[in-house]
Amino acid sequence: MSGRTGPGPVTIAALQAALAAEHAAIYGYGVAGAYLTGTGRATATSDWLAHQVTRDTLEAMLRARGAKPVAAAAGYQLPAAVRTPAEAAQLAVILEDRVAVAYLGLVALSEASIRRFGAEQLQASAVRAAAWRGSTVAFPGLPASLLAAPRHV
Amino acid sequence: MAVHPTRRVVLAAAVTLPLAAVSGCGGANVLASPPRPAADVGLLRSAIAAEQLMIARYGAVIGGTTAAMSSTLAPLLAEHRAHLVQLRSRLVVPAGSPTPSQRAPAAPAGVPSAPGAALAYLRDAERAAASALLGRLPHAPASLAQLLASISASEASHVPVLDRAAAR
Repeated sequence: MSGRTGPGPVTIAALQAALAAEHAAIYGYGVAGAYLTGTGRATATSDWLAHQVTRDTLEAMLRARGAKPVAAAAGYQLPAAVRTPAEAAQLAVILEDRVAVAYLGLVALSEASIRRFGAEQLQASAVRAAAWRGSTVAFPGLPASLLAAPRHV
Repeated sequence: MAVHPTRRVVLAAAVTLPLAAVSGCGGANVLASPPRPAADVGLLRSAIAAEQLMIARYGAVIGGTTAAMSSTLAPLLAEHRAHLVQLRSRLVVPAGSPTPSQRAPAAPAGVPSAPGAALAYLRDAERAAASALLGRLPHAPASLAQLLASISASEASHVPVLDRAAAR
């Protein structure tokens, strides 16, 4: 029924939320990179670039749907103080976790191409987060409250 | 007096429904086929089977490997078990359908014994499983799509871990 009227407000809001998370990640990786050296710095730089590519894709997706992409804020409040390489890595994990939640929001949409894009970005974010964390997780992006409590395993 | 029209309507509906099914779907076997489970039951069953196979593969590799390699593989296997628990918790089996197997299938054949080849075997399996889940997304209801996408991302994150272990 709504197919003729273009993307609904839910689709646009979810794409804007993903874009806002990417803006925050780009800012945060800039900070994290400043406290890293060697391979840590190189990884932060490559992840920072990956987020910029995805930001550009999201902006194009929004424009193609007649929406004005949200702009980046001039600055962001960091979730925790960063003064050491370990804290920089922790910040990167938090940034990726927030991006992952936003991409799961895209997966809930009905448009197949957006759903797939969200799932691919969730994969990319989970791979980056695992590298920073030093371990993997079973359910990237999914809050524990959405998971069924294990009965008897 | 008020009871009669109601009963008549119900009886009429009971008579009309199968006829509508026949004329709508045009096949003589429509009446004979049992009610079809919802689309997500099929999706869940295939995702459950894929996780069981993955768990069996890890079990087969861990069974023939060194302690160092199993300490790398154990957390990944634990995540697959967690995936299986969540998938099973979503499966509401329609009455009268066969109960899905609760046990993982027998160890798959053709598992390489050399450590490097075994790690590559698991890596390829993870990559294929993550990609197969992406292919199932268009057919899933939103909340199941989110679970499948999250599991797919977890499997994708196992690939570099297995690659790094193979490089050691």
